[in-house]
Amino acid sequence: MSKIKIQMKNITKVFETEDMETHALKNVNLTISSGDYVSISGPSGCGKSTLLSLMGLLDMPSSGEYIIEGVDVANLSLDEAAEVRNSKIGFIFQSFNLIDEISVFDNVALPLRYNKEDVSASEIERRVNKCLEMVSMTHRSQHKPNQLSGGQQQRIAIARALVSEPAILLVDEATGNLDSNTGDQIMDMLDKLNQNGTTICMVTHESRYADRATTQLRLLDGEILTVPPSKQSSKAQEEAAVN
Amino acid sequence: MNQISYQLKQAWAGLCVKKGFLVTIVTTLGITLGALLCILTLAYVMILKPLPYPEQEDLYQVNSAVIDSERGRLGAAFEYPILIKLFDDQTVFSQSALVRYESGVVSSLPSQPTVKSTFVTPGWFELLDINMAMGRTFEETENKDTHNPVAILSYHSWQNDFGGDSSILEQTLTLGGTNFRIVGVVADSFIEPELNGSGVKTDIFLPWDFNAYGMNPRSREGYGNFSFDQRFIGKLDSTLSIPQVEETLTTPLNLLWRENVHTFDGFENWTIRMELQPFKETVLGDSQNTVLLLLAGVVGLILIACTNITNLFMSRTADQQRELAIQAAVGANKRHIFRTLFAQSGLVVSMSMAVALIISTVGFWILQQYLALRLPRVEELAINGVTLGAALFITLLLGFTFARISASMINYRALNSTLQSSGKGTGIQVSPTVRRWLIISQVSIVTILVFVNIGLLKDSLKIINQPIGFETDNLSALTLEINSADSLSEEETKQLLRELQNKLIALPQVEDVTRGTAPLDTGIAIIQGPEATQERSSLPTRFVDEKYFQVLGQPLLEGDSFSEADVNDQNNLMIVNDVYAESLVTHGGIEEGSVIGTTMLVASNPYTIIGIVQGVKKPTEKEVPMKAYLIAEANDTQFVIKLKPNQTLDRDLTVSIAQEVSRQFFVSKLETLNDQSDELLFTQYTTAITSAVLALLTFFLAAIGLYGILSYATQMRRFELGTRLAIGAKRFDVVRLIVKDNAISVGIGFVISIIALLGLFIGYSEALNDYINSQLIPVFFVTLALISVMVLFACYWPVRPIINSSPIRSLRNSD
Repeated sequence: MSKIKIQMKNITKVFETEDMETHALKNVNLTISSGDYVSISGPSGCGKSTLLSLMGLLDMPSSGEYIIEGVDVANLSLDEAAEVRNSKIGFIFQSFNLIDEISVFDNVALPLRYNKEDVSASEIERRVNKCLEMVSMTHRSQHKPNQLSGGQQQRIAIARALVSEPAILLVDEATGNLDSNTGDQIMDMLDKLNQNGTTICMVTHESRYADRATTQLRLLDGEILTVPPSKQSSKAQEEAAVN
Repeated sequence: MNQISYQLKQAWAGLCVKKGFLVTIVTTLGITLGALLCILTLAYVMILKPLPYPEQEDLYQVNSAVIDSERGRLGAAFEYPILIKLFDDQTVFSQSALVRYESGVVSSLPSQPTVKSTFVTPGWFELLDINMAMGRTFEETENKDTHNPVAILSYHSWQNDFGGDSSILEQTLTLGGTNFRIVGVVADSFIEPELNGSGVKTDIFLPWDFNAYGMNPRSREGYGNFSFDQRFIGKLDSTLSIPQVEETLTTPLNLLWRENVHTFDGFENWTIRMELQPFKETVLGDSQNTVLLLLAGVVGLILIACTNITNLFMSRTADQQRELAIQAAVGANKRHIFRTLFAQSGLVVSMSMAVALIISTVGFWILQQYLALRLPRVEELAINGVTLGAALFITLLLGFTFARISASMINYRALNSTLQSSGKGTGIQVSPTVRRWLIISQVSIVTILVFVNIGLLKDSLKIINQPIGFETDNLSALTLEINSADSLSEEETKQLLRELQNKLIALPQVEDVTRGTAPLDTGIAIIQGPEATQERSSLPTRFVDEKYFQVLGQPLLEGDSFSEADVNDQNNLMIVNDVYAESLVTHGGIEEGSVIGTTMLVASNPYTIIGIVQGVKKPTEKEVPMKAYLIAEANDTQFVIKLKPNQTLDRDLTVSIAQEVSRQFFVSKLETLNDQSDELLFTQYTTAITSAVLALLTFFLAAIGLYGILSYATQMRRFELGTRLAIGAKRFDVVRLIVKDNAISVGIGFVISIIALLGLFIGYSEALNDYINSQLIPVFFVTLALISVMVLFACYWPVRPIINSSPIRSLRNSD
């Protein structure tokens, strides 16, 4: 049996303004196990990015229980959440989110610099080079991100996401800013990572990429609607509760 | 015209939406430009504006410099007979006047006010072309040696002391026992040259013959008495050069003086030299330095304010990129875009200048109210052509500069792509290099200004708080004036003064009364030295009675004080302070331990030192000066009154007691020593307040500026910071990153300020000698610490909303 990586129970997210409340997520229950490849799709405004933000502790739920590797993370302080993000979650954003002022190497090394354990320079070098090698970008390590193509930048973002050896990789429209050819290459890379054991949860609005996932979730108006059983992993079939 | 009107309307509409931007700039720039206009006008009035007298450039004051062949120039003061000789015999001045400043009690008025009386020859009115509100000026029949008792009132005195009485002419006033017939009132428009000190104005003009020296044959004709209160003013009408004129005047006068003083003890190596000083220089004194210092401070503030505002304008331009892009899309060319920006900056700067003109008017009032005693010509301060010209020039300059800087940020070609990217792009940004330079300039200017101001504040507070050797609390100085002194014999005067002293002691609020010059009053200097040696020096000397040291709480260190019998018998005894006693041992050839008993020659008369007291000093004196104390003469009219705690003694009561003792006694001065001390320390108080305000203002402006720059920079980095947070940076990591990124700019700012300060100290080491000492090092570190704290705050505060909320907010807002 695969080990449970992420478990969400009755997660709700409400955005409040002075005159209205918006229920972005309603009682979401979700379990992702080690080695899963989950896609979340749905129309604009359905709450998929919000769900991914909550999963990545970029935002906190209004209510509900959220457990990562057995630890309740729903009520962490900002610094505690940062620590969890740093050690257990890897992010890949649509717009890459690389820092233009520093080199590719330093971008990839960034999560290690924020690691609570003081990672040695030689260890940083070893791990960064390993990740750059995985995405075939070693030759660009001293370039600045703005000297690279979109596809290359996204590869760097993947390397950065992997460098701290996270429990799960959260991918937010990774191909949104790329042409289809480059997008396919990136998706191939993600497939390969999953095949090698990396747990991935991906938000996408492109069905051809969603189809690559072993578990497909569809969100509408803040609720998970469908999970095609044929596509679910055995573990997910056992654990995922569909609301 | 329509185009200008349209652009101004558009600019105004745009500014109305950004009220915070408008209010911040108008407030910051209004206050600082107001200060600048105020000080610029002051500098113009004091340095460039001609004096309001005809042919003022030909007017000179003649100073009688006293020169010691060994020690050089000792100072400048006239001997009365030499002054008269100069007035009578000179041929190089076409017009001339004698002036002497005194004060006296107008005993004919019920309130018996003490007035400033100025004794002049008729030439005074001609030289200065003085207009009259009524009556006439002095005539030839009232010139020197005519003894014609007439008086002219100043407009101020006429209004205040004489109630503006329209029938004042031909009335008489009594001053110093003489009845003067009032023949004129000076016009209100007359601006008196303040030769006797800034803010010191004449109440009553009297003919020269009636001055205190002129009325006393001994001082009128005798030599050996220098006085600072008498002046010679003349209009130079000569083909000779200034040095030639000085030589022409000096030769006969020095010869005459030497003939009359060559037998005097201590005058052996002295000569006098006539020096011409331009009248404007006489009036202004050394106050130009004060104005230049103020100007430097205000320019520093303006630089900080302009740096802040530059940043605000740049941020505003970045905000306006979509609006500017639309203008470009519909056909606006680069010039149109510049005009749009210039309309905005011009409008904002014009509004700031309107506020500045109001603030400068308030500044004039403050200077006139509080600095009239320290700065000459402040009464002439008003908004004038120079102020308005400067205001117009500065408005255009700043308006253009801000527009130019804003325009330089815009890549005209890139404006279209701004629209194509649905307004999400950041085509206009304040570049990191510009931001860095803004921080560097802010830090360097604020470091220099805050350091200088803290230094000045510390220096002033040190002087204000330093001990002066006695407590001024509960002490008052009383000076009497005795009219018609000749009608009272010395014995009668002595008895009456004793009676007055006893009556004052009998008052319930009085603890004790002593006769003698109050320690903060200006005393006289007398040439003296040990009989056994040739050492002679001119030394401050006080005349006191047997209770003086006890009343003042001035400890007797060695020997005895004067006894009552000594005072009654007017014995030739002397008490010296510890500084003088030490000097007598180290420089006067007296053996240690033998100061008491030493015979001193004071103006050639032998005096015996019987005691040594602890020295006291005035608050403004750096060190305790050498001082000698002699027994007060029987008719000495100066008292020091010690009151019981929390008691006061008002002038009316003192006047009535004096009048009760003798109708000839008038109160010339009654002032607490605390007031005297405050008056002496006025410059220090002013400096302390001004420097503290300037330091705070500088600090405040710099804090706003740095906050603005760093806040903008943080906004620009919001996305980056969000990303860092997303991949695991903690709050402290982000703050540390911001601080680290700005530390280099701040460090460069510190280095520039150190170089500038060193340059200042090296370049002006002579002028700043008094201020440069090792204590400035901790002051500098305090300054650095304060500015570092301010920078830390400016780094932390803008990033606070980012680090204290979920990272997704930063990512969403920026993406």
